[in-house]
Amino acid sequence: MKSDILKVRNIGISAHIDAGKTTLTERILFYTKRIHAIHDVKGKDGIGATMDSMELEKERGITIASAATYCEWRDHEINIIDTPGHVDFTIEVERSLRVLDGAILVLCSVGGVQSQSITVDQQMKRYKVPCIAFVNKCDRSGANPTRVIAQIREKLGHNAVAMQLPIGLEADFQGVVDLVKMKAVYFDGENGEAVRWEAIPENLVGEANRQREILIDSAAMFSDELTEAALEDSVTEELLIAAIRKATLTRELTPVFLGSAYKNKGVQPLLDAVTDLLPCPADVENQALDMDNQETPVRLVPDTTRPVVALAFKLEDGQYGQLTYIRVYQGNLTKGDTIINVRTQKKVKVGRLARMHADQMEEINRIPAGFIGALFGIDCASGDTFVSPGLSLTMTSMYVPKPVISLAIVPEDHKAEINMSKALNRFTKEDPTFKAFVDEETGETIISGMGELHLDVYVERMRREYKAGVTTGMPRVAYRETITQMAEFNYTHKKQTGGAGQYGRVAGYMEPTSEEDFIFENKVVGGSIPTQYIPACEKGFRNCLAKGPKLEFPVTGIKIVINDGASHSVDSSDMAFQAAARGAFLEGYAKAKPVIQEPIMKVVVETPTEFQGPVMGSLNQRRGIIVGSQDEGVMCVIEAQIPLSEMFGYSTVLRSLTQGKAQFTMEFFNYKTVPASITEEIIRKAQEEKKHVA
Amino acid sequence: MLKKDLILRNPLRLLGNERETILSPGGFGAILARAGVGKTSLMVQLALNSLLNSRNVLHISMNDPVKKVSLWYDEVFRHIAEKYQLSQMDQLWEAILPHRFIMTFKVEGFSVPKLEERLTDLTEQSIFFPNMIIIDGLPFSEDARDLLQDLKQLALKHALHVWFSVRTHRHESAESNSDGVPTSFQEVADLFEVLIGLQPEGEEIHVRVLKGGNPDRDHRGLRLDPATMLIMDVADKAAAI
Repeated sequence: MKSDILKVRNIGISAHIDAGKTTLTERILFYTKRIHAIHDVKGKDGIGATMDSMELEKERGITIASAATYCEWRDHEINIIDTPGHVDFTIEVERSLRVLDGAILVLCSVGGVQSQSITVDQQMKRYKVPCIAFVNKCDRSGANPTRVIAQIREKLGHNAVAMQLPIGLEADFQGVVDLVKMKAVYFDGENGEAVRWEAIPENLVGEANRQREILIDSAAMFSDELTEAALEDSVTEELLIAAIRKATLTRELTPVFLGSAYKNKGVQPLLDAVTDLLPCPADVENQALDMDNQETPVRLVPDTTRPVVALAFKLEDGQYGQLTYIRVYQGNLTKGDTIINVRTQKKVKVGRLARMHADQMEEINRIPAGFIGALFGIDCASGDTFVSPGLSLTMTSMYVPKPVISLAIVPEDHKAEINMSKALNRFTKEDPTFKAFVDEETGETIISGMGELHLDVYVERMRREYKAGVTTGMPRVAYRETITQMAEFNYTHKKQTGGAGQYGRVAGYMEPTSEEDFIFENKVVGGSIPTQYIPACEKGFRNCLAKGPKLEFPVTGIKIVINDGASHSVDSSDMAFQAAARGAFLEGYAKAKPVIQEPIMKVVVETPTEFQGPVMGSLNQRRGIIVGSQDEGVMCVIEAQIPLSEMFGYSTVLRSLTQGKAQFTMEFFNYKTVPASITEEIIRKAQEEKKHVA
Repeated sequence: MLKKDLILRNPLRLLGNERETILSPGGFGAILARAGVGKTSLMVQLALNSLLNSRNVLHISMNDPVKKVSLWYDEVFRHIAEKYQLSQMDQLWEAILPHRFIMTFKVEGFSVPKLEERLTDLTEQSIFFPNMIIIDGLPFSEDARDLLQDLKQLALKHALHVWFSVRTHRHESAESNSDGVPTSFQEVADLFEVLIGLQPEGEEIHVRVLKGGNPDRDHRGLRLDPATMLIMDVADKAAAI
């Protein structure tokens, strides 16, 4: 295993769904000799692409888990994280971006910059990940790389510059002109493995010269040396590459490459670019937070002699047992070392270490700073930081959104029940946005997550990987209740039915708050409620929150202040005050104008302009507020805020409205009060459901 | 504070009549200023004023994405909420939001027939009926007159009024006519009922009514607060002191 950090590249491949990133990864692995045959994404040959190791991914042609793999190219070690393209899995994308140093942004030469590319690009921007772009599918009819480059500039705001020119396009796509070397590149052999360099075809010489000028001009902005050389007409390949690299690392320039991964064209020059232009771990500044010092940021140095700081960014339960993907930021993680999980403060002994190649593995003895590898048999959660004893650093924690949709699942038999619980245990550890719990009332297991597809995929994984057959209920929106005005309460709980009595009086008020889900404040003076019963009061109020009195949805955004009460020397107890608090809550709640709130999604539809009217109509029908429409030439982007409950099955509607030419993405926006007419509908449905359960 | 109080305290009322609108149906108004002086901010305030009166605003922006335009509204509304100490800001915001629609065009892709097509998309399906249009960033080139005349027809047809932002240049202030209207704009000035100029003077930005407005009102005290870019009346301030 290599340890020269300058020759390491940790990269991700991000794109819109179906832009062809898994195919591209497959070709990269083939040309770097990690695999010896090429398989299609959709598994036509019954095998499927190497990176899509989960069966489900192969079947649907989508990549779900970001399997990490490594390969070698021109004496460099490249670790690739294949990231999912669907918005429901953005937590996976974000987690991957956290550990990457650079990325390839794959774009379709026909579809161009699509909505998901914009989301992924924003995520890259947030984590300051430098990237190069690859305009794929240049062999497709309608391919127009020039338009895509213009879109990268306009829609993503990148300073995009072409590094290559296409030789022919669509069915006639033959190869590319390298604007740095000023040569034509062709890809021969059955799988395009033989790279042939030739003189630039005559008809392209003029355009190539013009584009090279543009490239030099763009790069010269970042290098005085290059500017001088350009003036003296003595630009060398090294000088030009160095200037482009410098600007790429600071995200001031985005070099654009062309090709068709499926037709085996343009992949090798892209690999050259990964080694030439993307950063090595030493080029990137990483920070951790010092827990002992009020979370002050501390710069991590990719030096193997320093103490270890590493981040577990992905867990997998595969054929080799539990596998924890880890990136080492500092120090040298060696077999037999003792490290500490900062979150749990538990000591862990490093057992087996491995390097992963999709679902195959290679055992290694150490993972030096800057490298990515996997640990065996370590109990941790995704996002945990591991450090050498004596350090107390944590990598920046990531924002985890709350689930917005839930689904009841019932195992088909006893065996399925056992397997289901194993699967849920694994999934909830792997994915912080996926939750599972048992509804005490109905006894059903409820899973919740970020969208329909998100839950769908986990149900399928349960069936396939864990042989846990489950039947699912209708998806349920995570409604919640809150109050809208201040209300007072003064409730006495009194019971005298033989034996010890119960007595407690609780008085105070409740009011809406936007600071937290629940705030409890004790303003009782003079001991009207003895101090020992205050926690019982808080518990009593807190217990009421799980199921709101209005429609049994969780209550949030409520502040309870108690300021008076009464007790009895014999009959008062924790139990009595809990009951009094419950009564007080119900009394106050009824007066505080409770409302139901529902999750609102930010929906972005990208559609050809001719369908703009019908698409707007479809959004408007769904109780949505259309925020605006953005004219993008032939396409237009419509942004709307729509209740999640109205979005079920929207993909089918959109497809039929636009002949399948429009796409949409959806993400959680906020919670809003449900209009009165809809509240009645929800109440009616809830009552029906109750009858059904009974 | 109630919506009504907010409207009453809005210094924009000094620009118009007792009614909430400054322009009549089919009327054009323009805000003229150099880059970065506060045109968009004042336009957004005009829009918010209309939104608070439950009148629909179609905000058309050239080149800026929807997100950026939304941010302008968020920002200006937040400043207003802070200034007037609105207690139920979120509820008010949610109530006015459905009255706003943002459209963005590329300058080269903008034309009146195209706008009319988009408007028809909205009105035919009863999605949105604008009472006021804001056009931000339209370049006033030599052939602007034709486009403006077409727009005027459209505005009359839909009984709405239109506010434009007009970017002027430093050298133009010297070339202005006696009303303070830059010479480059004079060719189309007759199409406009109201022209408002923003003029930075020292630390202050003066709001000057160059044409139209309510002659009974004293506009001399109108300023843009340089910190928040909110319109204010220094006379009010003096009275308060």
